[in-house]
Amino acid sequence: MGEVSAGGKGERPAALAIGVPTARVAPRWWRSIAVRRFVFGYSLLTPAVLYVGLLVGVPFLFSLYLALSDASVGAPVARFVGIDNLLAAVESSTFRVALRNSLVFTLGAGIAKSILGTTLAFLLMQRFRGRKVVRALLVMPFTIPIAVSALGWKWMLDSQFSVINWALGRLHLIGAYGTDGWPVWLGQPALALASVMFVNVWRSFPFGAIVLMAGLTSVPPEVIDAAKVDGANFLQRLRQVIVPMIAPILLVGGLFDTVFTLSDISIVYLLTNGGPNGATEILPTLAYRVGIQAGALGRGAAISLFLFPLLLPAMVLLLRNLRRREW
Amino acid sequence: MPRSARRRAVRKHVLIYAGLAPFLVLAVFPILWMAITAIKQEADLYRMDVVPFWFNLPPTLKNFALLFWRTSYADWIVNTMSVSFWVSVITILTAVPAGYALARLKLPGAENLGIGIFMTYLVPPIILFLPLARVVSELGLQDSWWSLVVVYPTFTIPFCTWLLMGFFKTVPFEIEEAAQVDGCGQLGALLRVVLPVSWPGLVTAVIFSFTLSMQDFLYSLAFISVSDQKPVPLGVATELIRGDVYFWGSLMAGALLVGVPVAIVYNLFLDKFISGITGAAIK
Repeated sequence: MGEVSAGGKGERPAALAIGVPTARVAPRWWRSIAVRRFVFGYSLLTPAVLYVGLLVGVPFLFSLYLALSDASVGAPVARFVGIDNLLAAVESSTFRVALRNSLVFTLGAGIAKSILGTTLAFLLMQRFRGRKVVRALLVMPFTIPIAVSALGWKWMLDSQFSVINWALGRLHLIGAYGTDGWPVWLGQPALALASVMFVNVWRSFPFGAIVLMAGLTSVPPEVIDAAKVDGANFLQRLRQVIVPMIAPILLVGGLFDTVFTLSDISIVYLLTNGGPNGATEILPTLAYRVGIQAGALGRGAAISLFLFPLLLPAMVLLLRNLRRREW
Repeated sequence: MPRSARRRAVRKHVLIYAGLAPFLVLAVFPILWMAITAIKQEADLYRMDVVPFWFNLPPTLKNFALLFWRTSYADWIVNTMSVSFWVSVITILTAVPAGYALARLKLPGAENLGIGIFMTYLVPPIILFLPLARVVSELGLQDSWWSLVVVYPTFTIPFCTWLLMGFFKTVPFEIEEAAQVDGCGQLGALLRVVLPVSWPGLVTAVIFSFTLSMQDFLYSLAFISVSDQKPVPLGVATELIRGDVYFWGSLMAGALLVGVPVAIVYNLFLDKFISGITGAAIK
């Protein structure tokens, strides 16, 4: 692509000068082709830049301001309160539990997704019959809207009529209903956190597999053959050829999923709503509860902004990765 | 095929299928289970003594009937469709020119601007929903599905601009030059020559405006609390649960009726989504 644009740059003004009669009229600077192209180009960009700037950029700055004010739904005039909201958040044990849960959730689910996704990607890389159908079925968890599948999981993890418990019971792996041996997936603190993490893993591991496959198929076979000829064994090829080549794409996929996992509210909101007793509270659900349900916009904004330092490294890495690329 | 080779091929297939089987069960069973639940009779759902995987009472469409006659489900579908339609219109009108300008016009700073727009796709709704709640109430759009029309382009525009940028780069420069030589202006060349050959890119952008809009839950939850203004995922999740009573059959029916078509369409365009996210990582 780079070559095409480089060629086009040199040729186009010449072609225009010959072809378009108006270009022969004594050119003034604002009439020059480059300037007209810039004006045309930036005016094409304006709507998108304005929209995104006004509804992402400005709100983002506004949320910084909200976090430093005592704004609430009832009182439109807000006072500047400095870092009170942030301090209040850090001091509250609800917040600390939510922060811890968010970290456990993201890290734990991330590890599980990597393992499952890698295994699946290597299986799907094989040639076998029905590969397309299998792939289409395997990505269902990712393509179905998350709020829809979360409802399905809520039914599957029902305290009494859970189909999972029914199966485990028939296999005599759990006790009878009503006894301590009967797991109430969404009602017991540790199980509840594990369950919401599991649903997140279920939703995202196909995505991980597909991203990894996209990376693996982008490595030219000649490169691997060359490494083979040079006497590199499988592990050496993996470590020194394949992984470095697919690292950028894995990084982007991983960051994208991390951002989704850290900020998604629907799984926890629909499955446990943060319960039992705060055991599955994460920063997004807490921000929603404080900001919208309790109407304390400032406090809520402060809580959601705590996500930003967690997201920032991801975004910086991504930015560096995108900029390094040739266009 | 010689016998040993065939046997090896069979063994390889058996191994691969055996490896894939747990993944397939994991991925598909929950959706299958939702589908079965959607057409089970109520009495059949709450039994622990019989095998739950199949029908012990004849299947029924009662759960769907309840959706349409006893809830605002029809409204929710109309709302979802209207929101997606207007979001697509806004996205196409803004992302197409932007993607074209970034990809073709060699503007100074285009690269950084392109990255900047894509980065906004990664600013998660959870950071924006509180200030946007203010914006929505200033616009007087609270409890109206129009609030979602205003807000959803914040993620569809960045994604589709990025996607279309990659797409426009693949359209040969020569056809534009030829059009300009033939007397088209820059805008004329874009409208009459470049867009007609770019329709696959435009279709993809529309599809993603639809599917990405359907993936949202937080914005609709935060902005809309009136029943007849809700989109389907929110309506199903909030209106079919009365206190402690869950209408499981109707919940599953309502969720799948929209979820499965979205999943299928998304599935067809999944590779475009992946290469959109990973950008030029695949060279």
